[in-house]
Amino acid sequence: MGPWRLGGPVLAAALALVLTADRAAACPRPQGWTGGAELAGELWTAWWRPEPAPIPVSAHFSIRFHLCGPPVDRVRVSGWMPDHRHGMNYRPAVSLNGLSGTAEGLLFHMPGRWRLILDVRGAAGREKLTAETVLE
Amino acid sequence: MTPRRSGAPVVARLAAGLAGFAIAFGMVSGMAAPALDFTAGEKRRILRHGPWPPALAPNPSNRVSGKPAAIAFGRALFFDPRLSVSGTVSCASCHRPDRAWTDGLPRSRGHRTVDRNALSLFNLRFNRWFGWDGAQDTLWAQNLRPLLDPREMGVGPGGAAQLVRSDRELSCGYRRAFGAAPGADDERVFVDLGKALAAFLETQVTGRTLFDEFRDALALGDAAGMARYPAAARRGLALFIGRGNCAFCHFGPAFTNGEFADAGVPHFIEPGRVDSGRLGGIRKLRRSPYTLLGSFNDDAQRSTAAKTRHVRLRQSNFGEFRVPGLRNVALTAPYMHAGSLGTLADVVRHYSTLDEERLHAGGERILRRLDLGAREQADLVAFLETLTEKKPLHEATMKSGNAMCR
Ligand code: HEC
Ligand code: HEC
Repeated sequence: MGPWRLGGPVLAAALALVLTADRAAACPRPQGWTGGAELAGELWTAWWRPEPAPIPVSAHFSIRFHLCGPPVDRVRVSGWMPDHRHGMNYRPAVSLNGLSGTAEGLLFHMPGRWRLILDVRGAAGREKLTAETVLE
Repeated sequence: MTPRRSGAPVVARLAAGLAGFAIAFGMVSGMAAPALDFTAGEKRRILRHGPWPPALAPNPSNRVSGKPAAIAFGRALFFDPRLSVSGTVSCASCHRPDRAWTDGLPRSRGHRTVDRNALSLFNLRFNRWFGWDGAQDTLWAQNLRPLLDPREMGVGPGGAAQLVRSDRELSCGYRRAFGAAPGADDERVFVDLGKALAAFLETQVTGRTLFDEFRDALALGDAAGMARYPAAARRGLALFIGRGNCAFCHFGPAFTNGEFADAGVPHFIEPGRVDSGRLGGIRKLRRSPYTLLGSFNDDAQRSTAAKTRHVRLRQSNFGEFRVPGLRNVALTAPYMHAGSLGTLADVVRHYSTLDEERLHAGGERILRRLDLGAREQADLVAFLETLTEKKPLHEATMKSGNAMCR
């Protein structure tokens, strides 16, 4: 049990490091960011981070994001609990400045697994970038 | 994002060591349970129901929040039946201090019977929304509602402002609370009454409970402290944070996530008339002049208005009600939005025998028919009882009287 518990995260971290190093050239971490996570899709890759971090349970938070890829017309941000099949009780407002933006007014109202969805649309197409996070 | 997974074995070893210590020193009696058998994950889930009480800060939307003169004025208003058109109904008619701020009725009665159960008035300062349907986004706006509703008190802005201006003691109380005599604008004076009432009600924070003693002992690894928590309550707690799924909604120190859900309680008020719950609540909120987005918010920055700006209306809000906090719950029977369940045992039986067919129509998958055995049901009730203060604070508050303008 011990080695398995330790082994999982360590291996995953090593793998993530390799993958991140590969993509980092394509979409560098935005200037001035220390934390944040990368979300890679076919058309776009995003860096995102919540404020405050980590995401609190049942309290408002916002996210900042930066996209790499073709020009973007619109981004919608939403949340979804796949295990419970419900989303958020709040509709975030996104302000977009070129390929960077913020979404305000998010609230994950219970602990458990949440999917954060960035629904990106531009002349090149439409893509949903998703990240999963478990709130305790 | 899962924190410190590799830490689990260490904690478990430590726990095993402490348990051995406790047994060796005879701390674990036949009655008290060996208190250290929660896993690291369970322990984290228990700890987030505290610490209690949380830090208290004034409410920026109310300029008299926390002000002693406003608290005294609010207390006087709360017990004053002249704030009803008939002169017979006060806030305390339905929120009785000797009944943990409820009236003990399934549905409250003022001038007429209303559709819902009187909510208790504890821990309101931590609420995000007010009322079973969350139609109000501040405590002060909530306090205006019975003054407007003819079934409850119905005095209205004109009547209330007139009373405060003409009564010597009330106008003196107003002046001390707000720093100026009540003005000519009825609605301004009226909203200020809601704010003074809010200052008073904010003081009603529940005290420490047996559960809090246990939770803090668990945080400190204090085996003797943990062993004082009754075994049945401990088993009930394990169900609450585990198989029962209760803590998804009854989350955090106040045992509510502050949001809304359909807990499978029928929403017929009478044949042919339903309570739409949160759906109607959001619609009312959007029509109301008394919200954080309106001109009565004392906070120019609107720093607490995100919820009101971003709240989202969906058809699935139909039949949802606010998740009530569970502190002092043993004192506030009957339960649910229309008082349909008489005892905590009834509530637990409700969750145990839930009609899943009906619930899953909306797609939500948290509540399941639990099929709890008799002992498990008793354990959950025993746990819920430990969320109640031994000596409720409000009695002391009430005896201090209202020396407002003497
Ligand atoms: C006729 C009985 C009645 C009277 C009189 C009454 N209330 Fe209530 N109160 C209720 C009921 C019923 C609810 C739940 C209302 C709802 O959800 O629609 C409630 C809810 C509340 C809440 C919301 C609590 C929460 O957790 O959201 C507050 C605060 C409150 N009342 C304060 C007052 C004040 C202050 C007065 C006097 C100005 C007052 N009430 C007069 C019956 C009454
Ligand atoms: C999906 C969210 C959810 C879950 C899970 C949940 N509850 Fe509730 N609970 C509610 C809501 C919503 C109400 C009010 C329902 C109504 O009045 O229609 C409520 C009401 C209650 C009440 C009555 C409180 C009062 O003041 O009237 C108690 C007690 C309670 N729940 C305990 C529990 C227990 C014990 C569990 C686990 C077995 C549980 N709840 C699981 C949402 C939930």
